[in-house]
Amino acid sequence: MAVDRRKVAVFGAAFVLRLLLICLFPSLPDLLTGRVEVSTPVNSFKRLQEGLYLYTRDVSPYDGGVFHQAPLLLPLFSLLPDVTTNPVPTAIFYFLVDLLNAHALATISASGQSVQSRLHSAMRKHIRWDGTSVAAWFLFNPFTIATCLARSTSVLTTSGILFAVSSAVSGNSLNAMLALGFASYLSLYPALLFVPLALLCYDQRSQNSAQAPNTALFILQHGAILSGGIAGLLGLSVLITGNFWEFMTATYGFHLLVPDLTPNVGLWWYFFIEMFDSFREFFLGVFWLHLASYVGGLTARLRRQPLFIITSLLGVFAVFKPYPSISDASLFFALLPLYRHLFPLMRYTFFAISALLYSSLLGPAFYHLWIYAGSGNANFFYAITLVWSLGLSILLADVIFAALRDEWEQDHPERKGEEVKQV
Amino acid sequence: MTSKTGDHESPRTLATSKATDLKASAQRVPPPETPEAIQTRFRVIAAFWAVIIFLGFPIWWKTTSIYRAHLPIQDMADWADGKTCRPVFPLEIHVAAPTMQLPESQHLVRTTQHALDDLNDFAAHHLRLKLTNDTGASTAQGSEYNTNVAGNMVDDGPDTALTVRVVSQEGLATPRSELRADTTQLDIFYPPSQVPIPSSSNPPLSVFIAEELQRLYSEEKATIAHILSGDSSGRDSESISRRLRRSMKYADTYHLSFSLFTPGSAPSSWDIEAAVQDYLSPLLHAFGPISNFTIDTQVQLYATFSPMAPPPLYDEDESAWTLKKEDLSAFINAAEWPLNPSIGNGPTLNFILYVPDPSQSPMIVKENHASSWIVPQWGGVFLLNPPLEQAAKSGGQTNPAHITQESLRPAFMTFSHQLLTLLGTPTTPASLPLRLQSLIRVRAATLLLSASSTMGSLARLTESLPSIPIPATVASSVSTTLSHLSSTCSHLRDGRFGAALASARIAETEAERSFFEKSMVGQVYFPDEHKVAVYLPLLGPIGVPLLVSLMKELKRLVAGWKARRRSSS
Repeated sequence: MAVDRRKVAVFGAAFVLRLLLICLFPSLPDLLTGRVEVSTPVNSFKRLQEGLYLYTRDVSPYDGGVFHQAPLLLPLFSLLPDVTTNPVPTAIFYFLVDLLNAHALATISASGQSVQSRLHSAMRKHIRWDGTSVAAWFLFNPFTIATCLARSTSVLTTSGILFAVSSAVSGNSLNAMLALGFASYLSLYPALLFVPLALLCYDQRSQNSAQAPNTALFILQHGAILSGGIAGLLGLSVLITGNFWEFMTATYGFHLLVPDLTPNVGLWWYFFIEMFDSFREFFLGVFWLHLASYVGGLTARLRRQPLFIITSLLGVFAVFKPYPSISDASLFFALLPLYRHLFPLMRYTFFAISALLYSSLLGPAFYHLWIYAGSGNANFFYAITLVWSLGLSILLADVIFAALRDEWEQDHPERKGEEVKQV
Repeated sequence: MTSKTGDHESPRTLATSKATDLKASAQRVPPPETPEAIQTRFRVIAAFWAVIIFLGFPIWWKTTSIYRAHLPIQDMADWADGKTCRPVFPLEIHVAAPTMQLPESQHLVRTTQHALDDLNDFAAHHLRLKLTNDTGASTAQGSEYNTNVAGNMVDDGPDTALTVRVVSQEGLATPRSELRADTTQLDIFYPPSQVPIPSSSNPPLSVFIAEELQRLYSEEKATIAHILSGDSSGRDSESISRRLRRSMKYADTYHLSFSLFTPGSAPSSWDIEAAVQDYLSPLLHAFGPISNFTIDTQVQLYATFSPMAPPPLYDEDESAWTLKKEDLSAFINAAEWPLNPSIGNGPTLNFILYVPDPSQSPMIVKENHASSWIVPQWGGVFLLNPPLEQAAKSGGQTNPAHITQESLRPAFMTFSHQLLTLLGTPTTPASLPLRLQSLIRVRAATLLLSASSTMGSLARLTESLPSIPIPATVASSVSTTLSHLSSTCSHLRDGRFGAALASARIAETEAERSFFEKSMVGQVYFPDEHKVAVYLPLLGPIGVPLLVSLMKELKRLVAGWKARRRSSS
């Protein structure tokens, strides 16, 4: 089959490209692992190694306050050979995770959920890419490649989210909730995707069955499945670490309270460095609420396109979550090609893409000036992260605008123009 | 309603119009919003405001509310103003007259008390005489003093400040007194002819005893008056304030640092441990109820003078190297000699034993030939000129390599004396136990005042800055302070000075702890206006669109409600 051969070619090429990169530049993975743009305290492979070292020597992995990732990663990674002597198996594990993510993306694309859902049908559904192209966009995105080579554990969260969505669009809502539970267990913030994902499952269910299920009951059931999945994973974690509160405070407490202000591409670190101590708790609350408040608003506004709610929320998370890295941006970029039909409606693509390119090139340079050359200060890097966030927000706002416009055109096929509330 | 939203939308409509619509777009009004669209917008706004109201405001309330424990502000201010407690110092003095008949001695005590009351011009400090006929009292009182010093604060009766033994002695023309240096006993010897006859209202012996006692306590009385009044008027206040300036501020723990400095290589060792043990420990033990002490020692060889300091000059007449009195302040080479300003908790008192180089020995102070001096609020210096030894090889003279305990004796006698001065001990009377007792009273008064005024400052601080937090620990410290202050006051009134000082020490420590509580001080310089600067930059941009949309939505709801009412009526 021609299509299958294309897919195999894309996947194979992506695999070979990654393999070539680590063979030609053996120091590249370690270099990328140390970059603040890629590795944050909650997904760094170095910190995972530290936790792994303590874990294999029967010390609590959270002793020393370096490791902040979910405990279930430890037995998983302890199966792989030691990365210092034999890095290739670990790298290949990450390549395979990437390919699986791409496969999930292809599944999502193939379902056509992005253009045609229960309550919505896009105006320009002929303008679209097939699953293989979407997967290729994901696999050959430099941000994805960098994340993969840096062996950041965010790729596992990404898989959780993508599998949740792909299971949801194929009507398997149980798997969707379990995968979302896995992602939430790893990184906490994917739990915010529960409402749109449940809506997606609900739409699928009511489309495929004769009568629509009871909404409240459906949401409750799926909430219970999600909580059950998370509780199961937490139970396993307790078996591994033996100390519930220690690992809860070291992982989720760390996500929530943001004690490590190592620079990253997000907006939190600089703000909380400058913050008066007595207001710290308050602004932690403000930032988290700001992040969470988008869920309600976007869900209400874009009720007809649940998959698009997830996409735009992922964009919001890439900008506003406490420890963002380029892997979050790469996830957002991975879902954008599903909305190829919205591209003609977007207005600021040039500006957004320029801002993103500008900041991805200048960011490392300014970071070098600040940390290594000593000829710049923290404001240099922070300014660049602001530009990065600005670029992402413009892109996000633009794509939301395009989606609303598309909806509006569907309602009023003869007229154009729609008010967009951008907060 | 429609026109209103139309206004809002038109710029965007223009900006986003496609070429196909251009012909009609210029004046076009967009289609009326469908009810679903209005409902959706209402839901969006409601979703944002629900988060703000149900999650945002509780978080704001919880995280920015300031915990202010209740403080007894009025009590604290009263203590600071001296309204609660008027410190009094009733000293109980036992009079033993073994050689007199009982009525005679009772009469003596009564008339002496009268004479004392006449002499006394400071009401807070007064002496109370009490007759004891126990002849063995003299020794017993001495030992009782010792037990009191050792911390036996529980007995209910007042401390006995002094025992007066009135003894008749043949061959005396006038009475004479004798104070023993190591006890709290004043012996009065009188000629037998002067036994007061019950009819006389003002016998000379009573007057003599009263004057002696008055003289004995005059310095303490002046000091306490000086502390309590806080002003520097009065007869002795010049010398008292000079003495107070020289002494260290009171601390719970003092650190004593004994240093041997010599410009050459010898002496390189000294019997310091034995010297401290034998010469200093008894004194420090006697100081136990007042302060605690920690001790360290060091030997520094090749310790040279500062290049800025004038070198000692050889004086032919004295055949000694002399230092000028005005140059003594430059004697200590603060830049190079390792004298830490403060080790551990308390302030450090430095005692320096300086052994001059053989080529500059002996060294003395030019003006008064002294070999030691005191550095106010810092410590003391002693110049030790040991007998020189003949060096075996070079034939020159060297210092002995080791300083024995015996040769340290004069140095440590001086250091003890300096220590007493630095700790603020009164210079009179001659008896050391009496001086220490006097110091206890002085310190109790000082601490009482200082803790009270700290309470007052804390009360004023918390009143004037309503935005600073008051942790519960501060409240408990304050209540401890207040309770110990009142027990200090009642102990003073009953004449139990040792117990009073113990309470005052606790009060002072707690008062300082509450005043310097870290979490309170953090916000002292954070006025309310700054909060605007904290809140606005972030919450302004978020809040304005939310507020505007909320107001629009409310307007629409009100308009709709009015329209419905009109149509129904």
